[in-house]
Amino acid sequence: MSKNILKICIGTPCHLMGAANLLESVEKFDCKLRQKIELKTSHCIDNCCDQAPVAEFNGKVYQNLNPEKLYKIIRENIK
Amino acid sequence: MGLVFEEFYRSIPKAGEEVCGDSVEIIKKGNKTIVVLSDGLGSGIKANILSTLTAKIASGLLEKELPLKEILSTILATLPVCEVRGIAYATLVFLIIDQNQQLRLIEIDSPSAFLFRNKQVQKLDYREFELEGKKIREANFKFQRQDQLFLVSDGVTHAGIGGLLNFGLGWEGVACEIERVVKRSQTDLKNNINKLVKVFNTFYGDQAGDDFTIIGMKYRRKRKLNIWSGPPLKKENDSLLARKISEAEGKKIISGGTTAQIAARELNRDLEVGFKYYDRDIPPISKMDGIELLTEGLLTLNRVLSMLKKYKPGQIPVEGKDGASRFTRLLLESDSVKFLVGRAVNESHQSLNLPINLGIRSQIISQIAEQLRRIKKKVEIEWF
Repeated sequence: MSKNILKICIGTPCHLMGAANLLESVEKFDCKLRQKIELKTSHCIDNCCDQAPVAEFNGKVYQNLNPEKLYKIIRENIK
Repeated sequence: MGLVFEEFYRSIPKAGEEVCGDSVEIIKKGNKTIVVLSDGLGSGIKANILSTLTAKIASGLLEKELPLKEILSTILATLPVCEVRGIAYATLVFLIIDQNQQLRLIEIDSPSAFLFRNKQVQKLDYREFELEGKKIREANFKFQRQDQLFLVSDGVTHAGIGGLLNFGLGWEGVACEIERVVKRSQTDLKNNINKLVKVFNTFYGDQAGDDFTIIGMKYRRKRKLNIWSGPPLKKENDSLLARKISEAEGKKIISGGTTAQIAARELNRDLEVGFKYYDRDIPPISKMDGIELLTEGLLTLNRVLSMLKKYKPGQIPVEGKDGASRFTRLLLESDSVKFLVGRAVNESHQSLNLPINLGIRSQIISQIAEQLRRIKKKVEIEWF
């Protein structure tokens, strides 16, 4: 089974805009979903800091996130 | 490599009290170190005020380098005396150690010092004399490279009184505990102090019956720390800075996400970004071979600055596993600190509209340097 890769930016702007909440929400996903995701962090993704917080899921960059949005994105795009 | 005199202390207030009745003042002046310990009569805020007063007067006079006799008689004449009990309101110990490792110790009404030498604790050779109607003990000796000296307030020698032991530990009991703890690891002074505090607290059944303080001192080698923060103005300096930090002598810190990425690229090393939050306000730390600590930039530096502002010389460095606490600990454990600061403006921060004093790296670093100089660290800054 190929893992889905979720990369969350923890650079200063993303941190200030709530990257910690995103990380926390991922840990709270139900077991089945969480097992399919490989979680990584990064110092910057794609230099779009004015759209923080930013995350990358399976190679695609998403901006202006919050835990609900992230959950939706993962649900819709998970392999 | 030079030697440096290192000292740590911990003061524990009597159970139920907010402040400790013991005061410690440590002054470093040139190659001289002055340590003053004062124990106020009783406990609580009154004892705290009395001991602070005594310690401050003593350290102030000692710093001015007046003749010792004059200092002593001034202090003894000014120390208030309890009307009821007819004894002085505060006790006093002070020691001066100079660059030739010659140590002079004066004790008034306090337990004698513990010298750890050749794997055992010894009592010092004292000369006693009387001044202003008070018995004073004085010791003069050469402090050796491997020696460790401990000063305690009477709360320590009385540990266990009325509870675990009838008459408390006494000098011999404390000597025994110090010997046991220090023998096991002779290098880590601050850890030993922490252990000893735990031991004495246990004798009290975790309910200290009196304020108690323990100070430990020894010589150690000087430690160096190198910090790189911020990308340089000119991009061609990237590789120069990366080389400088990787070749530097001593421990190394990289502060800043972008800086860490540059270092990883230039040094061709793997950068492992962490995601564990020990403190929700401080972003996680990362890992790279050969670098002791990699932290986030601005927020961490700001926290480091506020921690340094609260620090008093001799205190045991802050606990905590987050980036800022680790950073502060490394700073406090070092004797000379070298900053390599890049001045490039981080475009990404401009979008955040940060308050101006939070957002400027060079200002924060200058303030950190100022705080480090206050506690007598050697600081060097190179701008790029």
